[in-house]
Amino acid sequence: MRLNEWQLAFEAFLLEESTAAPPALSTSLIGGPTLDVDTGLAIYHNAYKARLLEVLRNDFPVIYHWLGDEAFDALAGAYLRQHPSTHYSLRWLGQGFEAFIREYLVPEQSAPLSELATLEWAFTLAFDSPPGVPLTIETMAGFSPQEWPALQVKPRPSLQWLEQRFNSLALWRSVKDATDFPDSEALEAPQVCLIWRSNLLCNYRSLESAEANALNGMIHQGWSFAELCAELAVIYGEGAPLRAVTWLKQWVHDGMLERLE
Amino acid sequence: MSASVPFLGYGLGLRSAYYQQILEQSPDVDWFEVVSENFMVQGGKALYFLDAIAERYPVVMHGVSLSIGGPHALDPDYLKQLKQLAERVKPAWISDHLCWSRGNAHQLHDLLPLPYTEESLEYIAARVTQVQDVLQRPLVLENVSSYVRVATDDFTEWEFLQALSHVSGCELLLDVNNVYVSSRNHGFDPWTFIQSLPKDKVRQLHLAGHSDYGDYVIDTHDHPVSDPVWALYQRTLEHFGPVATLLERDDHFPPLEELLDELHKARELGDRVLAGRQQCA
Repeated sequence: MRLNEWQLAFEAFLLEESTAAPPALSTSLIGGPTLDVDTGLAIYHNAYKARLLEVLRNDFPVIYHWLGDEAFDALAGAYLRQHPSTHYSLRWLGQGFEAFIREYLVPEQSAPLSELATLEWAFTLAFDSPPGVPLTIETMAGFSPQEWPALQVKPRPSLQWLEQRFNSLALWRSVKDATDFPDSEALEAPQVCLIWRSNLLCNYRSLESAEANALNGMIHQGWSFAELCAELAVIYGEGAPLRAVTWLKQWVHDGMLERLE
Repeated sequence: MSASVPFLGYGLGLRSAYYQQILEQSPDVDWFEVVSENFMVQGGKALYFLDAIAERYPVVMHGVSLSIGGPHALDPDYLKQLKQLAERVKPAWISDHLCWSRGNAHQLHDLLPLPYTEESLEYIAARVTQVQDVLQRPLVLENVSSYVRVATDDFTEWEFLQALSHVSGCELLLDVNNVYVSSRNHGFDPWTFIQSLPKDKVRQLHLAGHSDYGDYVIDTHDHPVSDPVWALYQRTLEHFGPVATLLERDDHFPPLEELLDELHKARELGDRVLAGRQQCA
């Protein structure tokens, strides 16, 4: 067999469910004194599957905790069969897991699980995204009065905006804190959850709707600080500038934003 | 060993479990080997610690995804990132494995065995040249553990390594544990393997643990180095002289102190062997 053909046969064997190798592959090989070809091939087959499942267990620890060994491996195994790895780094293996869950399971199962997958993947993205150039309180303190009205901001590269309909964050927190795992349930109203990295640490925060609207305006709709104040004036009247600056200081202090020049 | 090859001493594989402790305690380690792919990211903790550790210690880059023998074209994006990382950490050298880890369509994330044939030699030598042209330095390739062999091989593994380094100019990372594991699995004499390698091409040694299942041995990197591998290592140093040695651990991470003790054992053994060689000279 030519090198390329042999490698194709080996690859196909690794990707198959069965550990029984096709005769064309096994007859091309020889074993050792006490290691036969089938056992040798099974070592590669098992290692391939075990390695990928372990990566997904590590990247989605809350889904793993929720489903347990058997159900998680069945779900992850189905994902891997449909989406074998295409990136040289295992860091990206779980990239399509959320979309797969959404399509693979019935909606009542998939909705909370895929939301949780989005949350867990967001933490992995925040972990190693580019640092960007954070806007700091010290920089803001140096702004001239003329600079404030036109001030615009953008999200740090690690900042992710998740809209949640289930108590995914509570599930995630319970695993992190090793407390009782709550039942999955729908929230009374959808909630915005932010995930980002600051000073090498990943952070998360839920936002009330007023603060979420304000931040959404600033980072997604390009509002300037003056426009933020004008929007807030509808609710807060004369207190709008104070409200706006309080929130902005909090976001900057938390390390979520960059200045949009 | 050739006089142009630097002897870095005794190093440890850099793993995230030990980042903080290394920075706080500056342990007595001569150098660190980093898994290249772990640092092909855009930011965050891994790069922060890599930069800080590379400021204090010599670093060597060791990849797992080059897939030098794979059936696909070499990935230009991967090579670009490898080169960028090398520019960042300025490694003493860059290594990967003599294996394939990517198939025609998919990444297989394992160090898969190659047929040791004339066809493979020609194919891989051309790819080594391609990589060396990008990196502008010799590539260092490691022998892998294996669990099957190809029936129609034209070369033994050691003959293939020797021929490949001769044809392509690549250097060799001799993993003593992998030689032992494969020798048990395939029934060859590990010393025949080791002593056949060209002395001027062996740039680095690896030491690691394995799991012994009686009928076969698996290269798990989750145990201390075994006695037969220590014995083989001693004989290797007696034969080659000083070669940079790296202790690997990839699972069941013990406290750092235990790895430092194991590394100290390698250093003591190395010092003893090398002192003996000097006396003989």
